Amino acid sequence: MSQPGAAFSLREIGLRIGERTVLHPLTLELPAGAVTGLLGHNGSGKSTLMKILARQLQPDSGEIALFGTPLAAHAPRRLARSLAYLPQHTPDTDGLTVRELAALGRYPWHGPFGRVGDLDRQKTETALATANLLPLADRLVDTLSGGERQRAFLAMLVAQDAVCLLLDEPISALDVAQQIDVMAFVRRQATEHGRSVVVILHDLNIAARFCDRLVVLSRGRVAAQGTPDALLHPDRLEALYGVPMGVFPHPASGRPVTYVL
Amino acid sequence: MPDTLGRSALWLAAMAVLAACLTAVNLAPGLASLGLDRLLAPVPSDVEAMVMAYSRLPRLCIGLLCGAALGLSGTLFQQVMRNPLASPSTIGVEAGAGFALAAATLYLPGLLGWSRGLVALTGGFAAVALVLMIAGRFRFAPLAVVLGGLVVGFYLSAATTTLALLHEYRLAGLFVWGSGSLSQQDWRPTLELLPRLALAALAAALLARPLVLLQLDEAARGLGLRIALVRAGALAVAVALAGFTVSAVGVIGFLGLAAPSIARAIGARRLASRMVVAPLVGALLLTVTDQALQILTAATGMFLPTGAVTAMLGAPALFLLATRLRAAEPQHGARALVLTRVSSTWLVALLATLAVLALASLVLGRDLGGAWVADLGAGLEPFLAWRLPRMVGALAAGALLAVAGVMLQRLTRNPMASPEVLGVSAGSAFGLMVALFTMSAPGQVALTACAALGAAATLGVLLLGVRRRGLGGNQALLTGVAVAAFLMALLSAVTATGDPRALLLMGWMAGSTYRVDAAGATVAAVLALAMLPALPALARQLEHLSLGMPHARALGIPAERSALLVLCGAGLLTAAATLIVGPLSFVGLMAPHIAKRLGFARCLPQLAAAALLGAGVMVTADLLGRTVHFPWQIPAGLLSALIGAPILLVLLLRPQRRRARQSAREPIRA
Repeated sequence: MSQPGAAFSLREIGLRIGERTVLHPLTLELPAGAVTGLLGHNGSGKSTLMKILARQLQPDSGEIALFGTPLAAHAPRRLARSLAYLPQHTPDTDGLTVRELAALGRYPWHGPFGRVGDLDRQKTETALATANLLPLADRLVDTLSGGERQRAFLAMLVAQDAVCLLLDEPISALDVAQQIDVMAFVRRQATEHGRSVVVILHDLNIAARFCDRLVVLSRGRVAAQGTPDALLHPDRLEALYGVPMGVFPHPASGRPVTYVL
Repeated sequence: MPDTLGRSALWLAAMAVLAACLTAVNLAPGLASLGLDRLLAPVPSDVEAMVMAYSRLPRLCIGLLCGAALGLSGTLFQQVMRNPLASPSTIGVEAGAGFALAAATLYLPGLLGWSRGLVALTGGFAAVALVLMIAGRFRFAPLAVVLGGLVVGFYLSAATTTLALLHEYRLAGLFVWGSGSLSQQDWRPTLELLPRLALAALAAALLARPLVLLQLDEAARGLGLRIALVRAGALAVAVALAGFTVSAVGVIGFLGLAAPSIARAIGARRLASRMVVAPLVGALLLTVTDQALQILTAATGMFLPTGAVTAMLGAPALFLLATRLRAAEPQHGARALVLTRVSSTWLVALLATLAVLALASLVLGRDLGGAWVADLGAGLEPFLAWRLPRMVGALAAGALLAVAGVMLQRLTRNPMASPEVLGVSAGSAFGLMVALFTMSAPGQVALTACAALGAAATLGVLLLGVRRRGLGGNQALLTGVAVAAFLMALLSAVTATGDPRALLLMGWMAGSTYRVDAAGATVAAVLALAMLPALPALARQLEHLSLGMPHARALGIPAERSALLVLCGAGLLTAAATLIVGPLSFVGLMAPHIAKRLGFARCLPQLAAAALLGAGVMVTADLLGRTVHFPWQIPAGLLSALIGAPILLVLLLRPQRRRARQSAREPIRA
């Protein structure tokens, strides 16, 4: 059922919580080796969908496959080797240093009893280096700035060495420079390392600049999907967000830039 | 979610009808036969009228007043500390008042004749002052207040119980007071209490609006709120409410925890409505209990203190509600305690200290004249048969409790969690009580089996309660507290009956290592040794679990199964340890914090350090308990609380050093 280029294939995935239908049965393919932006207003079901992708939540109906294999068929650690998930609210780190936090990402590989080997250490160091965290590696995570803290958690995800990354609003509390910093890092994961990334974003312009493909959810349904160029048109945007919007090409990159009229 | 005041009103009405019915059954026949004339102007010879006018009617009123005061006090505490487990008992008010009364009874009885209430109130405020001194270091962060309150409370209760054990006969009345008796002799306490409570309630009403903003944490400061000031003010009002109540009728502790939770569960969501509904719930709950109890006493002649029975009724209610209540995860967990990181090589120093302590507890003693002696070589031989089992037992029990404490604190991500708080200890105490009261002469084996069964049953109830809601976070904790409160209340009711078997139970509850034999010590030691190789594997999973369930799941840990395993493991360790040192040592709460505060931040070093510290504290307690009051003994379980709590307090109050710059420069947000 899945196409060769798809990381995730969802078929008729639906979820109800009590009386409320959070996700109407939706069918969707998310491409491999690319950055997919998940957009939509608050309460549209973005986070829920991501939790289902991460297997944190079980859908009521439908099937979901990761690279052609049903998600439910993976053993927990096996799945964690190919799928890394960053929740919207990162947990307390309880006195851990940045390096120790990154090293926690190696758990799916060494498990509860396995030896922590050179490969684990090397992957951790590489992850820290990729996230430009080596100078901060021995600091306590609690003492970092918001952007640094977010990068520390991303370093943990990179150390996990999964081919798929699921990121729930990774830049929501960051300043502009930190947002660009984190998103460029996310972009490199796909471009340079061939990872498939699904990222929940709120900022259309950030999404247009860093994503290969956008999926817009509205009230638990897929309202639109496509490349940023195809999707970001004034008419479609007004239909999606209910406010009149304009689009012009970025002076330097040519990527679409949106603004509210 | 809308504020369903209509639903609250319905529940309140139902409770009010129940209370009215019970009151009518209890008082109406008497009132009817007396008539208004005899009641309004009773003559001293008219015993029936005197009892009604000066005992039963004031009892009804003071019950309503105290219930309302505790409900309001608990609501304030929970709002200020942003913790559903905060209550007058968790901040040490009741323990402080109890200790002040016990000390005054023994050393300054004149004070009691002058004003018993003032003594209790002073004790309560002194305890709170100590708590606030600790909390002040952390800018009154809610976590620090609760933690400081628990430690101070445990310390003072242990001190009171020690006094009671040393002067058993002179303090007998204190046990009845300690379990909360509403019995009245005239209207004076009611009339004294009324204006005090009214004043405090007015102050609470004035604070209502700023208190709502406290929910926003730091964001509240942005709205122009002086956070520290509001917190301090609200705490003062809450302490006053609880203190007045305690001085009037003794400890009815559980009500302050239950009433606000019940109010929230029956639909009072906003603070303003909780501040109205919770006092009403408290008043009605206490009245229902007290009236029913009076009916029961009249029918059977059995005397039970109301406070203890309130807890017995309130705890199952809370237990049921806990499965529905959405207890917020603490946003900032135990990290507030990590000041500095130290290298794991310091564990060797801890190990060496423990070895020295263990050796000392074997060798040191007092001779017949009371002089200190070190028994060496052949001189030691006759004592070894007694001292070795108790030392080994105390050491193993301390280590087991400490490890269980680390497991539970990391699993629930709540620094207040510990085997004692979760009710597993109380469960084994309960098992023991059943054995004592149902068998004619239970042997050591029967007692052991019953205690283990009690712990297992408590754990089963706990697991059943949290099965559907997930094992992480506060859900398990809240359920456990309910179970613990229920069992402890039952125990204190039994103690108050004055049954001679209750004294035996009390000795065991206090954690006397006096009766530990070779078999008991071996079981604990084998379990402690068997636990060692499992720790590294456990530590790895536990470290992930302490970052939360989603995180653990995302990394491929079967989170639910691991959590279940941790909970069962902690239960087993606790049961084994409780058999030796009783349910009141609080080593399981303190040792993990001491370890963390010393700088053992990661899971495995913390487990190891906590085990060594727990063992050390327990061995020291055993040694001191055997020697300082020679030829009498002070139970090790109690002494360990007296030894451990000051260590933790000193560590909490320790100024932050330069070296801590990189780790703790920021004010602690909790």
